Amino acid sequence: MAVYRMMYAKVGPARFISHLDLLRTFGRAARRAGLPLAFTQGFNPHPKITFAAPLAVGIAGEAEFADLELTRKIPAPVVARALTGALPEGLSVLEVRLQRGSSPPLMAMVECASYRAEAKACGPVTGEELKDAIASFLSRQEILVERKNKEGKKVLRNLRPGIFEMSGKVDNDIIKIEAELKTGSSGNIRIEEVMEAFQKTSRLPVQGGYALFRTNLYTGAGKEKKMLWQS
Amino acid sequence: MDFLDQILPLVKKPARYAGGEWNAVRKDWESVEYRVAFAFPDVYEVGMSHLGLQILYDIVNRRTDTLMERVFAPWTDMEEIMREHGLPLFTLESRRPLLDFDMVAFTLQYEMSFSNVLNMLDLAGIPRESGRRTKGFPLVIAGGPCAYNPEPLADFIDVFVIGEGEEVIGELLDILIQLKRRNVSRQELLLELARMPGIYVPSLYRVFYDEDGRFSGIVPSLEGVPEKITKRVVKDLDRAPFPERPIVPSTEVVHDRIMLEVCRGCTRGCRFCQAGIIFRPVRERKPETLLKQAAGLVRSTGYEEISLTSLSTTDYSQVRELVKSLLDEHACQGLGISLPSLRADSFSVELAKEVQRVRRSSLTFAPEAGTQRLRDVINKGVREEDLLDATGAAFREGWHAVKLYFMIGLPTESDEDLDGIVKLAKAVLALGQKAGVSRGRLRVTVSVSSFVPKAHTPFQWEPQAPMAELQRKQDYLSKRLRERGIVFNYHDAGLSFLEAAFARGDRQLGAVLARAVDLGCRFDGWSEHFKLDRWLEAFRLTGLNPENYANHRYAYDAPLPWDHIDTGVSRQYLILEHQRALAGRVTGDCRTGSCPGCGVCGALEVEPVFAGGDWDGGL
Repeated sequence: MAVYRMMYAKVGPARFISHLDLLRTFGRAARRAGLPLAFTQGFNPHPKITFAAPLAVGIAGEAEFADLELTRKIPAPVVARALTGALPEGLSVLEVRLQRGSSPPLMAMVECASYRAEAKACGPVTGEELKDAIASFLSRQEILVERKNKEGKKVLRNLRPGIFEMSGKVDNDIIKIEAELKTGSSGNIRIEEVMEAFQKTSRLPVQGGYALFRTNLYTGAGKEKKMLWQS
Repeated sequence: MDFLDQILPLVKKPARYAGGEWNAVRKDWESVEYRVAFAFPDVYEVGMSHLGLQILYDIVNRRTDTLMERVFAPWTDMEEIMREHGLPLFTLESRRPLLDFDMVAFTLQYEMSFSNVLNMLDLAGIPRESGRRTKGFPLVIAGGPCAYNPEPLADFIDVFVIGEGEEVIGELLDILIQLKRRNVSRQELLLELARMPGIYVPSLYRVFYDEDGRFSGIVPSLEGVPEKITKRVVKDLDRAPFPERPIVPSTEVVHDRIMLEVCRGCTRGCRFCQAGIIFRPVRERKPETLLKQAAGLVRSTGYEEISLTSLSTTDYSQVRELVKSLLDEHACQGLGISLPSLRADSFSVELAKEVQRVRRSSLTFAPEAGTQRLRDVINKGVREEDLLDATGAAFREGWHAVKLYFMIGLPTESDEDLDGIVKLAKAVLALGQKAGVSRGRLRVTVSVSSFVPKAHTPFQWEPQAPMAELQRKQDYLSKRLRERGIVFNYHDAGLSFLEAAFARGDRQLGAVLARAVDLGCRFDGWSEHFKLDRWLEAFRLTGLNPENYANHRYAYDAPLPWDHIDTGVSRQYLILEHQRALAGRVTGDCRTGSCPGCGVCGALEVEPVFAGGDWDGGL
């Protein structure tokens, strides 16, 4: 048995692959690539792949992380090449490293994620207006959104403490916003909720929604944040 | 950036519209001469489960001078957004609007998808009526089972392909490329195509009706246009083109596995079954061909399961040998095999037990009718003891749920036959109890659909039972099947009623269809969208009565709206079969060597092909 950590991108059409379908997609890719993927035991065996943090359907991931287990040791670059050659459009393995020794579960490591939101402006907007809109958004003590809890009850949640950073610029007529949000099992802020709340208050001239990208995942936050490579 | 990228996050299951799946082909638009959009008039998950799409996609994209891209009916949430933003219907591969293509090719698998065909043309900005489409618009063609009674769609489709697509598509594209180079008018193009075997160009025919508005005949309106269009058929299925690298959807679809087509056609001769007629004669692939194809498919798709598909897979001559070889070769890679339909006998249960690595919770059988008398009428070669043997074996082998499919409203059916369904269901339940299946888990599902008389079958002359009568029968069963362990479900009688009207409809129904789509009908096969009232309103506004179609009994000598479409099976045979049905006489299986005389082999110069070996007849 050998455990590998991989960094992969899920962009283009692949960003519409749901979390559950992604597991199946990697499983089939491994089979096409001839990689000896390890499977769970039981009536419905599934490949032993664990993802760092689920990504909502429609959001692109530019540097996502997952651990996968093979039944025998194969050089990491070979694994990366074989998988990439067998993945559908938009999915690619950027780097694979063999995990040595034990490491905390990948999911428990994640504390922060960086995002980018892009939309074509359908009316005039300047960089200053965007900066002002962001500043006024961040100046709020509370940014409340409604969420359904596990019992299906509606509860109010304050997004503001989980928004670590947010900035933006206008490139020609494309609005680009970058943000760092609290992520992981100890509290998770969703970029789609942040952007929805932002759009509601800022009323920038945008048709449809923002195209969303998760640009990286980190352990730690702010200046302390680190990539997810180390065990 | 593409506007679509901002739209897709707003809809349910955006993977339906994203494309980019494994093995999807995106060709350079400028490198080819002729561009085809394959249009499936249902949602992505249904369309991507259709083997015909994969076959044609492979053939057209293998050529260097043509390309094929895919488009599916957008779900209603997507349609709403597309209309709101004026986004025209686009293909998944290049995201180009359908208007950019030379051809839009629909497959017609089910009458109740006709509304989606029109709606998709609307969404594409293509005029619905073929007469309004000049040279600049794509040629709109259609094929598939429902093309065998093309008349309800005759106003909207330029060209119907009658028969098996892979046999026609190459020739059709060759001609179309030549015609495109010659830059001919639409009229000239249609006339040229009408001369091709298996091609029906409805605008080149005149239809007659008698004073009651009933169909009385159809004749070519131009010289050189054939009176009859005979179906095209693949003679050697073993050597027919076969997609070695099928598209693997990235999201779960209805049939999310390798589809290994072991044979085409069925020898059983059930008298209600249209597929049993139009796919004659039966043609089996050689086991060695299938093993080779399977090995290639496992490598090229990465699927974890192979489904042996056909109309009746347990009838495949070498099914046991094939299953054994497949398991020997692939089981170590964790690959499973599934059989989509089971014959009701213990051989089938044994086979199911052998193949099912992951035990599914239920097995499905289709006795279709509740009494031996009625099963003889429909020529369903299932005896009660076979079914009880099969279900008893299933329970003993560890299955705890069994599904039984029946039809109601079959010709000559009486309440005794309905009692037969109740009796059978209870007998099966008792077998489960006897086999010791726990009370909590034991389940017998009785699923009942309503008989729909279909064109080209021995029952094509029969009326459908009135809707109220179908509902009474459903109630009758429902009251008698209230028992712990039995689950009873049935199909909407209104939907079956409309299906019957269109299955034997004539060209006048085109106006009804157009009205219905204007009134908002779409996705009629989906119970959450089907609205009978809207359809009845469409009929009323058009001045037509659906009962005149669905509930009409045709005389043998009456002209039928589909008489000009020739399946190769003779009319005399269908009449004989109908008479034998009414007399309760069964007809033998053509597999046994005694030819029932349907006439297809002589008419089409084909032969049934069997893979040989020891066949466990089970008849």
